[in-house]
Amino acid sequence: MVNVGLALEIVVSGIGLGSLYALVAIGFSLIYKVTDVLNFAQGQIALVGAYAIVVFAGLEFVGPFTAVALAILLGVALGIVLERAIFRYFVGEPVLSIIIVTLALIGIFQGTVRMVPRGGPTFRGYPDAILVDFSVPLVMGVTMRGTFALGVVFALATMLLLMAFFKYTVMGSVLRASASDEQAAMALGVSIERNIMIAWTLSSVITVIGGILLAMARGGAGMAIEATGIVILAAVILGGLDSIPGAFIGSIVVGLLEQLGTFYIEPYLGPGFGPVLPLLFLLVVIVVIPYGLFGTERIERL
Amino acid sequence: MSLWDSPSGEYFTSYEERMGLVRWRIEKLVAIFGVPLPFLVPLGVELGLIGRGQMTFMAFIMITAIAVIGLNIILGYAGEIVLAQGAFMAIGAWTATRLINAGTGLIPALLAGGVVTGLVSLVVGLPSFRVKGFYIAITTLALQFIAEWFFANPELSILHGGTRHSLPRSIGLLGDFVVITRGDASFYYLALVSLTLVALLSWNISRSSVGRSLKAVRDNDLAAQVLGVNVYLNKLLAFSLGGFVIGVAGGLYAFYLRHIEVDFFTIQMTIDHYVMLIFGGLGYVWGAIIGTGLVTLLLDYLRSGIITFAQTFGLSPSATAIRPIIFGFIIIIVLIVEPKGLMAVLGKVKEYLRNWPYAY
Repeated sequence: MVNVGLALEIVVSGIGLGSLYALVAIGFSLIYKVTDVLNFAQGQIALVGAYAIVVFAGLEFVGPFTAVALAILLGVALGIVLERAIFRYFVGEPVLSIIIVTLALIGIFQGTVRMVPRGGPTFRGYPDAILVDFSVPLVMGVTMRGTFALGVVFALATMLLLMAFFKYTVMGSVLRASASDEQAAMALGVSIERNIMIAWTLSSVITVIGGILLAMARGGAGMAIEATGIVILAAVILGGLDSIPGAFIGSIVVGLLEQLGTFYIEPYLGPGFGPVLPLLFLLVVIVVIPYGLFGTERIERL
Repeated sequence: MSLWDSPSGEYFTSYEERMGLVRWRIEKLVAIFGVPLPFLVPLGVELGLIGRGQMTFMAFIMITAIAVIGLNIILGYAGEIVLAQGAFMAIGAWTATRLINAGTGLIPALLAGGVVTGLVSLVVGLPSFRVKGFYIAITTLALQFIAEWFFANPELSILHGGTRHSLPRSIGLLGDFVVITRGDASFYYLALVSLTLVALLSWNISRSSVGRSLKAVRDNDLAAQVLGVNVYLNKLLAFSLGGFVIGVAGGLYAFYLRHIEVDFFTIQMTIDHYVMLIFGGLGYVWGAIIGTGLVTLLLDYLRSGIITFAQTFGLSPSATAIRPIIFGFIIIIVLIVEPKGLMAVLGKVKEYLRNWPYAY
């Protein structure tokens, strides 16, 4: 007999987890949309954000909320540095070089997080002041944890703001122009370097916020957060690689699948099956609808 | 025309000659003086010129080179970005280990490991019918993650036989005949002969019609299809052949380690092998071998250098986490400065010397 209350509870927590993933996934597809870079180090950027809180909160004269602000500033700095130091050299380079660069970034971020005092690989608890302990009551006595509720709000807001940004602002249409045809945009006077910088900055800020929320959901920062970078691949493929609402919807599905897998299948197949289920789902999606639900299908000509 | 005096320019009189393995004077020199050199290493050990550990390390480099050549077949010839190197090696390693422990001997175990890995690689390649580039990279990365979970999961022992395995120090080639002992000259020869066979296989693919079809698919799959190349079939061929070679390398690697668990087969292995191939030069067998040698040495020096540095200055052991950081920066700098790798640099040097002293 299926326990309806438990099932609802799982669905709600799946949606919550999915919306946390959505922030990281939106960061991923934002970069892909504007700069054509598949950033395999997205999970590591979230990891940097999660540990940044611990590091900043450990400093003197820095309160927990200042630490959050500093972590977000770190995200801004990260975006600018990545463009200045690395990605402007890779405009128009082959896909393979760019993939290797993002793989190298995995090592760099991971190593940095392990190196800094109060960093990884051990689990670090967050200060109590930023851990939310309220929960939002929903229908039928089911409640949603405060972190997840925050995640839903943040993810929805980010998605809507970004969609409006791309649709209604001049900057947004400049970004779209360079995304659809880089050379034509350059000929019309668009600065590709500035676009790359904006995309990376926006993306790393969103991802850092996602990382912080993921850490809050666990009570503190741990190395497990970097696995997010792999799980969101399923989300962005399902939603369509270059679609921001697609990334959101894909992430919700992935969050649901992960929670369902954790609660219903893990007892039979062993621990850790939760995140594997979305990846198996990814393998199916890629064969059935390779361009996802909302992705742009690329038509090739000779 | 004698062996030594070949005229300047190309004077081949037959197509076989033009496509031969040994064509130029420098290649003849290498074939006569260079090729026997690796076979003399165990002699050097006997004479005390080379340490026994160094010989085993060379064997390790050769085993890695086999895996990188396998990657080169998929990535360099067919142009498919497969990020599941660790997973493929693990599949080969587990299959070979279980067969060796069942007493079949090395050759059947390695071949079986290769075949199983080739089949998995073929299945991974199936979506390439509809998607390409990025998508294959993403699916194979997902496969890597799934494989790490699979091989670390004790509940699935029915399928993989256990999360950890050990291998004996001495294994017969077939059953109990011709025993190979790890750390011995026989182990070195095993690696050397395997590498030679795989290199020849890869070379012969690249200069046959199959290789040309693969390169056509890599350079422009649409144009290749218009010219009558069966794109899908060729991609699948590259996937299964490359997977087979990587699987064999996985089995050999397991014999080298003598103890396998999933920690040896992570995404880091994929990154390392990619760097080796790209440093050497994508699409060249020599590039794969030279790149593997150089990067393995670099990683080794980096590791020991950091440990010495940390000990001298009394730093905490967490200082070893700096290795991936340094390695990552080296990768990025090399990709910015010379993205085509060492083979391109050698080509430039050759071109410079050819025109010297008049640059134009």
